[in-house]
Amino acid sequence: MSKGDLREGRVARLLVGGPPFIFLLIFFVGPSLIMILTSFRFPGEFGGLAPIAAPAASAESEHGFTPEAYQFFFSDLLYGEIFFKSFAMAAATTFICLILAYPLAVLIARSEKRFRNLLVLLVVLPFASNFLIRIYAWMIILGPESALSQFINAILGVFGIGPVTLLFSPFAVLVGMVYVHLPFMVLPLYTNLEKHDPALLNAAQDLGANGWQRFWQITWPLSLPGVFSGSALVFIPVLGMFAVPDILGGTGDILIGNLIKDQFLGTRDWPFGSALSIMLTLAVLSVAALATWLARPATGQQG
Amino acid sequence: MKRNNTWLWSAAALVYAFLYIPLAIVVVYSFNDSRLNAEWVGFTLSWYKALFNNAEMLTAAGNSLIIALSASFSATVLGTMAGLAIHRYNLKVLPVLVFTPVAMPEILLGVSLLLFFLQVLNLTLGMVSIIIAHTTFCIGFVAIIVRARLQDMDESLFEAARDLGASPWQTFRLVTLPLIMPAVVAGALMSFTLSIDDFVITFFTKGVGEPILPIQIYTMIKVAVTPEVNAISTLLMLLTLVMIIIAAKLDAHASSRDAKTSS
Amino acid sequence: MLFMAGCTRSDERAAIPNKDRNVLHLFNWNNYISTETIRRFEKSCDCRLSQDYYSDNEEMLAKLAAGASGYDLIVPTSNAMDTLIRQGALKPLDKSLLPNLKNIDPSYLDTPFDPGNKYSVPYAYTISLLGFNQEKIKELGLPTDTWAIIFEPRYLEKIKGRVTVLDSQRELMAAALKYLGYSINDADEKHWKEAADLIVRAKPYWAAFSNTSYIKELATGNLWVAHGYSNDMFQAALDAKKTGRSFTIGYSTPNEGAVLALDSMVLHRSGKSPDLAHQFVNFMLEGKNSADLTNLLGSGNPNTEAMQYVQPEIAANKAIFPSRESLARLEMLRDLDRKQRRLLSRLWTEIKLR
Repeated sequence: MSKGDLREGRVARLLVGGPPFIFLLIFFVGPSLIMILTSFRFPGEFGGLAPIAAPAASAESEHGFTPEAYQFFFSDLLYGEIFFKSFAMAAATTFICLILAYPLAVLIARSEKRFRNLLVLLVVLPFASNFLIRIYAWMIILGPESALSQFINAILGVFGIGPVTLLFSPFAVLVGMVYVHLPFMVLPLYTNLEKHDPALLNAAQDLGANGWQRFWQITWPLSLPGVFSGSALVFIPVLGMFAVPDILGGTGDILIGNLIKDQFLGTRDWPFGSALSIMLTLAVLSVAALATWLARPATGQQG
Repeated sequence: MKRNNTWLWSAAALVYAFLYIPLAIVVVYSFNDSRLNAEWVGFTLSWYKALFNNAEMLTAAGNSLIIALSASFSATVLGTMAGLAIHRYNLKVLPVLVFTPVAMPEILLGVSLLLFFLQVLNLTLGMVSIIIAHTTFCIGFVAIIVRARLQDMDESLFEAARDLGASPWQTFRLVTLPLIMPAVVAGALMSFTLSIDDFVITFFTKGVGEPILPIQIYTMIKVAVTPEVNAISTLLMLLTLVMIIIAAKLDAHASSRDAKTSS
Repeated sequence: MLFMAGCTRSDERAAIPNKDRNVLHLFNWNNYISTETIRRFEKSCDCRLSQDYYSDNEEMLAKLAAGASGYDLIVPTSNAMDTLIRQGALKPLDKSLLPNLKNIDPSYLDTPFDPGNKYSVPYAYTISLLGFNQEKIKELGLPTDTWAIIFEPRYLEKIKGRVTVLDSQRELMAAALKYLGYSINDADEKHWKEAADLIVRAKPYWAAFSNTSYIKELATGNLWVAHGYSNDMFQAALDAKKTGRSFTIGYSTPNEGAVLALDSMVLHRSGKSPDLAHQFVNFMLEGKNSADLTNLLGSGNPNTEAMQYVQPEIAANKAIFPSRESLARLEMLRDLDRKQRRLLSRLWTEIKLR
């Protein structure tokens, strides 16, 4: 690379990376700093935040900065337990989304070019309707009088297993979570699979590889970047979700998203809510780092 | 290959069914002559009539469309740039900036953006503040998809273009962009649906006196789920479908022209 | 500047453009004023009523606590109003502009958190009570006049999985505290633990915590008992009747007492049109306008002049308009201080997780 190329590279880098960098620096880092500060403050007596400077004659007794919110978090295993439960739910959702999305993404990627966009559109279209109304539709499908419930219970009845309720259960939460996040898995998978050269598969077939071998040795490894991005786009948002467990969950279905929401819209404990979110973000980033580290040799091979 | 395809088709059909069965319920009950979304009573268009007589709701839908289109446009442009930059240059900070908003619970993003707009920027809340907020959380989604597309892409293509004397802009326009187009389209679609349906962040960043669709719908549902909401949802899907088909027609026109010139 | 976040001394920012001078900005629950009433008001004042909605008091409080401004009027529930008053977020009322205030039943005036009604005028109220499938409950021989039906396993085992309770820390704790014979505002940690134990013991029998879906589930027959708001039960009963169910939905206030949620009209400090706001408050205090809301939603009405316009079957409903002695057993929630809020939140998390 010549000197001129290098300079050109730097200019291009600035032109391409600069605008999103500046936008996020202002509109994401700015608010985030506020929240980090918030997590080290006292909640206001009546909500909001307690002042930093000592008030002259007000009801606010505490002021300034404190690690109290973090101490509170670590003072009880309760919160760790919810974290664990939420990560398990996120992992299960991601896994099921992957299983459901993969054949769909492969089909779209291998279909004729003029149909591809239509098939993608069909995946996204349901999501132009209102989120809550879709969840309420699941209430109908999973309800005790629904065809699905009665069908499942009729089958279980044959084996002498008592009737199960689908609605208001961890199962219902999982179904709702998968439903809501499925497109986030399909789209990155499809965009990745779409560029694979079918000649590769044909060549493998000529060499006598069966369908299963072709999948595991060619399609799957090549699609790993799509799998990882899709998993990130499902796994992470599941952790912040509160509406699905609120509506479809039973009496024990509380996830980290509910807990955080409660701090802002319930307990009015912004510092603890911020601290919880920061712990969550840190946990997510470490999972992401771990995944990247684990994925390194796999993606490296194809280089 | 054929047998494989049948298997694939049936698996995919099942997944499409999974996606569309709840939707079918939403659409069917929007024509149901009962306030209760519970069983079929009779056909009616009264929910749609009520909707078209509801000026506030129509204004809200218009506002939301403007917001969703602007936010998804800016998020797609910035997100594509970010995805390219992260892929091409070995950047350390940008990936964190791009991906962390995805990991941030929306309630936190909503409250912190509100504090930031009011207390730091001294901004008057309005459509602009909502568009900025939506763009912030959509960028990451676009960037992640674009980057997944670029990974393992054959670098020799870009080099060949450069060797042929193409400027960076020409390389981008004629080589990179067409290659990543499916990801860009997917990202735009995703941003649009995220934006048109977001309650929490919209609630916190909206100003006084302008109705926004998700706010109308969510606060209405909290009181009662009426078929009027099903009707809005149905119309919204229809509108999205029409818009996307028009966009696809335009795009097909453009790309067939491109194909001719490049072959 | 950043650090003002909590104080909510609403600074007078963002001058409203001229064309908006005759607009009254109301921050309200959705569907909490009838369109007829709005039309009449807009005609009488030659102005425009513009509404912003919240679906929960806490959403409204959070938004205002972050410094949002420009709202003339808000309609908070008692404990949220308690908060707003203590934060200094409200403008005092000018009573000389509210001649119709005389229409309000004195039992709803002079509340503990706004003595002398310096800031607030009652708008409507609901009671947190029990809704039930009348035929089913009779068939099972269960009582409907006591919280025991949602707390005592001996009753619950007959209706397991057919009960929901409100998904609200304060509401559910209030019901449990009342059942144990304490005040809903009792903040004694020992009593809270007792209430939490009661809840944890009953929880396995409940289907879910639910804040809205119980309306429909009661009306479809999936649920037999629900802890919820009186106006929602009114809706459920109406829905069941309209769809011609074989059962009816009843609702009654437990004898132990319950939560009275009084929604009031208050003026936010940041409002630009206090005159118009007063005009609106006075307008809503007219009997007919106030009655519209009750007829629409089945909410309780503190306005004595309104009663003549209220549909007779609503007016006769003891669960909506409680008798004097029943009213005496109702309490309004007070706000908790930050330590109590954090403690309750932890208890709540524990309840949900166990």
